[in-house]
Amino acid sequence: MKTKLLLCALTCLVSTALFAADSPAVGSVAPDFSVSDAKGNTQSVSQYKGKYVVLEWFNPECPFVKKHYGSGNMQKLQEEFTGKGVVWLSIDSSATGKEGNLTPEEAKAKMTEWKTHSTALLLDPDGKAGRTYGAKNTPHMFIINPEGKIIYEGAIDSKASPNPDDIAGSTNYVKVALDEALAGKKVSNPSTRPYGCSVKYK
Amino acid sequence: MVGIGMIPWRPWWSAILVVASLVGLPLAGRGQVYEGRTLVQASLVADVAGIVPGKSFTAGLLLRMAPHWHTYWKFSGDAGLPSEIKWTLPPGWKAGEIQWPVPLRLKDPGDIETYGYENEVLLMQEITPPATFAESSVKLSAEATWLVCERLCIPGSAKLQLELPVSTQTVPANEELFARSRRLLPQTWPETKVASASWERSGSELLLTVKSAALANYPVVDFFPVPQGNVVVGHPRTERGADGKITFRVPVETEDQKLSSLDGIVVFGQDAEGSSRNAWSLATTKVSASSSTGPKGLIRFLLFGFLGGFILNLMPCVLPVISLKIFGFIQHAGQSRGRILRSGLAFVAGIFAWFIGLALLLIVLKSLGREITWAFQFTNPYFVVFMSAVVLVFALNLFGVFEISLPQSANRGLLGWTAREGDAGSFFQGVFATVLATPCTAPFLGTALGFAFTQSGWTIFVMFVAIAAGMGSPYLLLSAQPAWLRLLPKPGAWMERVKQLMGFFLLATLLFLLWVLGAERGVEAIIWTSCFLLALSVACWMKGVFLVPTASAMSRGVSIVLMLVLVIGSALYFIGDKFNAAKAASSDPQPHGDWLPFTPERLQAELEQGRPVFVDFTAAWCLTCKFNEATVLESSAVRDAFQRRGIVKFKADWTNADPAITKILKQFGRPGVPMYVLYPAGKNAEPILFPELLTQSIILDKLETVTPHVAAE
Repeated sequence: MKTKLLLCALTCLVSTALFAADSPAVGSVAPDFSVSDAKGNTQSVSQYKGKYVVLEWFNPECPFVKKHYGSGNMQKLQEEFTGKGVVWLSIDSSATGKEGNLTPEEAKAKMTEWKTHSTALLLDPDGKAGRTYGAKNTPHMFIINPEGKIIYEGAIDSKASPNPDDIAGSTNYVKVALDEALAGKKVSNPSTRPYGCSVKYK
Repeated sequence: MVGIGMIPWRPWWSAILVVASLVGLPLAGRGQVYEGRTLVQASLVADVAGIVPGKSFTAGLLLRMAPHWHTYWKFSGDAGLPSEIKWTLPPGWKAGEIQWPVPLRLKDPGDIETYGYENEVLLMQEITPPATFAESSVKLSAEATWLVCERLCIPGSAKLQLELPVSTQTVPANEELFARSRRLLPQTWPETKVASASWERSGSELLLTVKSAALANYPVVDFFPVPQGNVVVGHPRTERGADGKITFRVPVETEDQKLSSLDGIVVFGQDAEGSSRNAWSLATTKVSASSSTGPKGLIRFLLFGFLGGFILNLMPCVLPVISLKIFGFIQHAGQSRGRILRSGLAFVAGIFAWFIGLALLLIVLKSLGREITWAFQFTNPYFVVFMSAVVLVFALNLFGVFEISLPQSANRGLLGWTAREGDAGSFFQGVFATVLATPCTAPFLGTALGFAFTQSGWTIFVMFVAIAAGMGSPYLLLSAQPAWLRLLPKPGAWMERVKQLMGFFLLATLLFLLWVLGAERGVEAIIWTSCFLLALSVACWMKGVFLVPTASAMSRGVSIVLMLVLVIGSALYFIGDKFNAAKAASSDPQPHGDWLPFTPERLQAELEQGRPVFVDFTAAWCLTCKFNEATVLESSAVRDAFQRRGIVKFKADWTNADPAITKILKQFGRPGVPMYVLYPAGKNAEPILFPELLTQSIILDKLETVTPHVAAE
């Protein structure tokens, strides 16, 4: 009996002894962060467990971001999916003094001016959230499922350009992925190459 | 919108173009103006003063950027956008592909790397006119779009024209500009005897191995990838090997298991940005691609695994257990051949059981998408407590405090195999030896595991079996060849003394484990663990004194209950309660001597100051690390060499599995510590990875070749 117990104890202990850091690859557990939004509320990924969460890296000065906001494309997407219960977090990881950095007041003004429909605009000047996710571009998109796993990472759509005229003829990867996920299907294209400006880290 | 879009093109401009073309000057063409500054001047130029019907010539888009602003290469990297040219040519005319000069590798905060051009770039295309045409002068127009970035990115575009007269013979123009740009064009890949290239897929990395004596002489050798479609790749790293062998490791971030090679260019030169640079372009069709499932690569790695497993036997952390086993062989020397073979097989089965168990665990974890590193179990303090308990119990057994006598029934139950007394013991010795071996990443094993951790579950499994086979081979050999055992001394009273002596070896191992705990959790943790170990010792003593076959069923029952209360109670109280509350050791320990505590930010800061940096990735529980530190890194020769060259020394302490350090280990493809990296001074210099077992000459020789300029000062 004792031998069996020992064998058991060994296996159990080893399994609990695992140390594992999360890696933000598609299919893996979405890492958490805690960042203040424009209204001063603390936002984290974990607080939305049980819901689909979209992370959108944002920089109001970036021509690629302006392409999707100037045309109303991003707002339309935000409106459609927040309407379906999806949480949409726009994240500005521009460091203080760098392009696109926003104070909470400026951020609120920008949200009003651009008529955004995101759940919140997170201000991440020290790049905590951005570096955790390895966000490189604006816009750089992530979708997290209710179980807290990343199901999409990459570009907003299929045409890498700053030209709003290209939106019409492009495939919106985020919309496709969300539609599939909400319909209970597997995301067919879970990873694409993001395009845009670099995130202006510290 | 702040960004500048199109600048309306003014008709008078073409007239100037014609005049300028005739005198052969590159032109200031269309300007992209942003907040009063001209960021980009765009123009079209040709390498001929006039067009000869049917004869190809080269035209180019010349972009001149304001200082510090850059436009992008055909693969822009982590951000940005390649420049584009759309020609509007008369019918019958043809334009070739854009010929992209070698770009610069540009780095931004946040580990963002892009490929682009600063100051000036000429994007050339071959233009082929039809054999005959009527016009006396031809107007070629093109629309160019680009993205220009400094800290801000601004898209730009221009409609440009190139007007050239028709001529009967080729008269060169803009010779200096075109010559300068052509010098920077990648060349076609040379013959195999000059440079051979091969791709290999290794899990989440693509390895490009280039063998070329010619390249070996260049201080800067780099690979710039051109991934197709939605393929996402990380930043390639250059590793230089012996005999002019260079390996470029390209992390593949896309979930594409079939991707087995990439297009790209191999860039080489005296520095990372000068015009002396040159490149060979690598098209996938020209290289031999071998995927990870290719049997050749796998067999090589399995061989490494076997060798690594064998070498594990010689590691300081396994030696105490090995001596235990050798002692067992001596004991069995007088017994039957079959008996010895059985014992040897059981021991080897223990080794296999552990490795296979570990492999299955890794496969499960991998499928859960977790990040796994070698010796990860030692980064968990509870595992170390458990190991301490096991070591102590074994030591007490050797001292004769109690005897391990397993009931027959339990033995039968174990893995369903009927074992005689002693076989189960051998089996667990096998398991035990292997558990202790894991933190010692022997040099071969490191390579083999680095490969295996990124592989499919099946490969991991086969890999671990190879390691187990390597580690078990000497025992199998000894037990199958009892003739060799006869060379060992005859059993006698001395055996008891040797056994007790071995007990002290195990106690020494226990000290090491407690020290690891101290490094992880501080002094208090050691004390509470020791309290638990004391209670455990008492339980062992009770087993030896009261749990004997002669004792009555009643006293046996009471003893068992008391023992359980003692062990479980103390475990709950000391480990579950007190130990749990013990504060983790400071995550930012005081630097030892002239070693600075490592953080990625500090490393970045030193590199930005242009100082060379050496990083020792170590952990309290890593004996190989301690050995290297004591014999090499802290030796006066190496210390002096570091000091003379002004190398900043960092200690990256992975005792508690700091995730920031885990990430860097992963970046270098290493599953655990030790790891030694030298970051030479100078922008874009490639970090140099040292082997896991250091010698003074390895370090000193490398310093000599890498940082001679500092040494000369």
